[in-house]
Amino acid sequence: MRPSFLHHLHPPTIPARQARLRYSLAAGGLAIFLSMILLVTGLLELFYYIPTPDQAATSIQTLTFLVPYGGLVRNLHYWSAQFLVIVTLVHLLRVIFTGAYAAPRRFNYLLGMGLLVLAVLLDFTGYVLRWDEGIHWALVTGTNLVKSIPLIGNALYIMLVGGTQPGPATLIRFYGWHIFGLTLAAGILTGWHIFRVRRDGGIAVPPPALRQDQARITRFELVRREVLAMLVTATALLLLSTFAPAPLSAPITSPAPAFGTTLAPWFFLWVQQMLKLGNPFFWGVFVPLAVLVLLSLIPYILPKPTKPELGRWFPKSNRLAQVVALVIFLAMLVLTLLAFLPAS
Amino acid sequence: MSDMSRRDFLKMASAAILTASGLLGLGGLFRFLAARTEPLPPTDFDLGPASNYPPGSRTALPDIPALLVHTQNGFSAISLVCTHLGCTVESKSEGFSCPCHGSRFDPQGKVSRGPAKKPLNSLRTEASSDGKLHLSIN
Amino acid sequence: MRRYFLPAASIFLLLGLLISAWQESRHPKPIDLTPTLTGQVEYCLSCHSDLAEISSSHPVKSFGCVLCHAGERLALDANLAHSTMRAGKNPSDFSVVQASCGGANCHSGTAEDFRDHIQRATTSIQATYAGAIANIRYTFGVQADLKARLGVFAVQVPQSTSGITELAAFDPLQETNSFILAFGQNCLTCHLSALPVQTGGRYDHFTGCSACHTPTQSASLTSVDTNTATQVHKLTTAISYTQCNTCHNRGNYDLRSMTFQPRSDLPTDRLHDYYQPIAQFTRCEWKLDCVDCHTRTEAMGDGNLYSVKKNIQYIQCKTCHGTLADRPQTRTLTDPNDPAFRLALLNPVVTLQLGEPILVSEKGEPLWNTRVLPDGTYQLVGKATGKVFSFKPVMGSACTQTGDDQSSAYCHTCHSVQR
Repeated sequence: MRPSFLHHLHPPTIPARQARLRYSLAAGGLAIFLSMILLVTGLLELFYYIPTPDQAATSIQTLTFLVPYGGLVRNLHYWSAQFLVIVTLVHLLRVIFTGAYAAPRRFNYLLGMGLLVLAVLLDFTGYVLRWDEGIHWALVTGTNLVKSIPLIGNALYIMLVGGTQPGPATLIRFYGWHIFGLTLAAGILTGWHIFRVRRDGGIAVPPPALRQDQARITRFELVRREVLAMLVTATALLLLSTFAPAPLSAPITSPAPAFGTTLAPWFFLWVQQMLKLGNPFFWGVFVPLAVLVLLSLIPYILPKPTKPELGRWFPKSNRLAQVVALVIFLAMLVLTLLAFLPAS
Repeated sequence: MSDMSRRDFLKMASAAILTASGLLGLGGLFRFLAARTEPLPPTDFDLGPASNYPPGSRTALPDIPALLVHTQNGFSAISLVCTHLGCTVESKSEGFSCPCHGSRFDPQGKVSRGPAKKPLNSLRTEASSDGKLHLSIN
Repeated sequence: MRRYFLPAASIFLLLGLLISAWQESRHPKPIDLTPTLTGQVEYCLSCHSDLAEISSSHPVKSFGCVLCHAGERLALDANLAHSTMRAGKNPSDFSVVQASCGGANCHSGTAEDFRDHIQRATTSIQATYAGAIANIRYTFGVQADLKARLGVFAVQVPQSTSGITELAAFDPLQETNSFILAFGQNCLTCHLSALPVQTGGRYDHFTGCSACHTPTQSASLTSVDTNTATQVHKLTTAISYTQCNTCHNRGNYDLRSMTFQPRSDLPTDRLHDYYQPIAQFTRCEWKLDCVDCHTRTEAMGDGNLYSVKKNIQYIQCKTCHGTLADRPQTRTLTDPNDPAFRLALLNPVVTLQLGEPILVSEKGEPLWNTRVLPDGTYQLVGKATGKVFSFKPVMGSACTQTGDDQSSAYCHTCHSVQR
């Protein structure tokens, strides 16, 4: 069989051991697949969404209730987005716990961190586009957090919000970021990230002399596995989107103050919990940035795995990095779960 | 300086000019992004006749948002915008409570608990000559 | 074995698609309505198409649902659609009545246009309860006179024939007298902003305009429907006495214990259902409905603030029956814009013709369900029952009234019915 374009995007063969599902968790590939779904469903939503404060929420209602399969398209977009953030985190954890970030892959690791940030920002800007009472508080506090940054905070705020308080200018800017600015950046970084994977030698493995298992699989088998993963994911997403609708609340009718939920979107719950402790800039900007920087520095400052130990889970040689990552993620998880306790 | 070859000088000059252009462009970009196209939100509110707010009353004004209090000492107004991150606080019997991160304020607006540090803003009230009450945020 | 994974996954995907399509078909089919008054499409009928028209003067084709109820007009999810409705099931609650029923062309126009319903109803004594509050506070020494100063909500009018132009809100928690505290706890359930103490059953009613105009009680005792309160989507001016009885004729107050004693009789016919066993009344006072005599301004106020119910109640027996010296006042309907025609249109138990004489009250309010017959007698058609009653004037009859006392108690001495 002659390899197609899709086949040629893949290396001719890859090591069999690292091609197993239980090794890679298919996380990276799933991230790409989910991004494709987001692009397509996003385009379909573009045909109905109107980015003005008066019409945003009602145009989403029209799409959800009155357009055949409109609700399905919206739910697919919503669930793909949430799973993209989760899958990106899983992929990051996998990379750390298999030590796959060592040179020459350190720059690619940074590209991946950039993609994580973009995924979260895309999730947040998309969330705001609902312009309903459910997002009202998050919009107010999130933009005010930017204002709390010393020296440049006010200028950043005006550039983000387009005025002195969230309004029509804010909505259209978030729309611009979401459908184009951040998407373009994510597209460029994704392409670069995949290119670097190939150029850095494919999936991280010990050098051939130190490899225990020399078995490999062909690009045809790899593509077959990916197609299988895509089919299963698509079916799961379809069923979830059919029975679990994306959230929607009553439109924001300015200038009345917000009356909707006071819970942050799930991926920011950990930040909301920290904000209860005091200074907004410290807990809301500095600490999250510090966490990001710490994670990004792992390949540079912590002991990295030795070559013989590449390509397996939990190598001994980068134990410290694994512990650091585990502690950070557990802390974020605990903080997130704390949000669901009854308010004191 | 006179040892520099023409080529190097031209290279340096081009780089300097391009850098200057880049900075100029960046400056323009910032001005572009920071443009304010919406009118500023109102800072003065006409609350209507002062007799609408009899002594002893505490009236919530959700559009501002603020609380108008009329005591024997006259009118006062407290802003209901939490000084932590801007959510609207809820009026309770023991003062005010913010649902976003748990800040608590006493009935005069001073912080009694919580991540907020500054007290709730006092807003200026003025009675005009025809008996109408005005409120201004500064 | 592995070779079957792909085909199997494909089958599951297909199944997933079919399940999606099936679920889509189970969604409520959108039924659109673009009311002529709003021009904006709404989809409430997708779930509520079985709801009857609320009244002939509010056809859903003109009004739609959202104009009165608010809510999310495009949503087919119940929770979202209902999330922004005004005051839940009852948009005529006084807290939102201006937004729902108001508007210069609707019910908050001018008195000249007979469109000042909201202004009158929200300042009426039935709404403010100002009379009861003033009376109790005077009785227990908290205020020096019977002049009304407080109502269940604060209200202001630009001018008032009584001299009272504003009422502050009555807050029982600000009162120090224990009787008035008890009054606030036990006795504030009979005004137009309060729900009755027990829901369901004989005393159930809505708040606001619907307290009277939405018939939660059936008009006839024989078909008592105890669970009507949550299912009635109706506005009417043909108000049966049973609706008034959701507040009136329910029992008695005991001022010393500041409690309400509900009546304990179990009536089986209209005569005994109408009034408490202790009351005295004449035949027309139980054969007719309250609205057959009590006028629009009596029930809904005239826009002025009063301290006492008696200031607004003025209908007497002589309004319809006249006195020994005078016949009752009448008016011949010569103006096609006479409000009598409008009122008769809303509740067509009679068809009025131009040139017809009808009775009018002392304030000139048309008693549009009456007519003057050529032989000098009179006819009244029950607004809620449609029954026709004929009656004669007092003048020329054997009545032995002295003439100076025209109170109902005086007429009751001869004309009251034995139960």
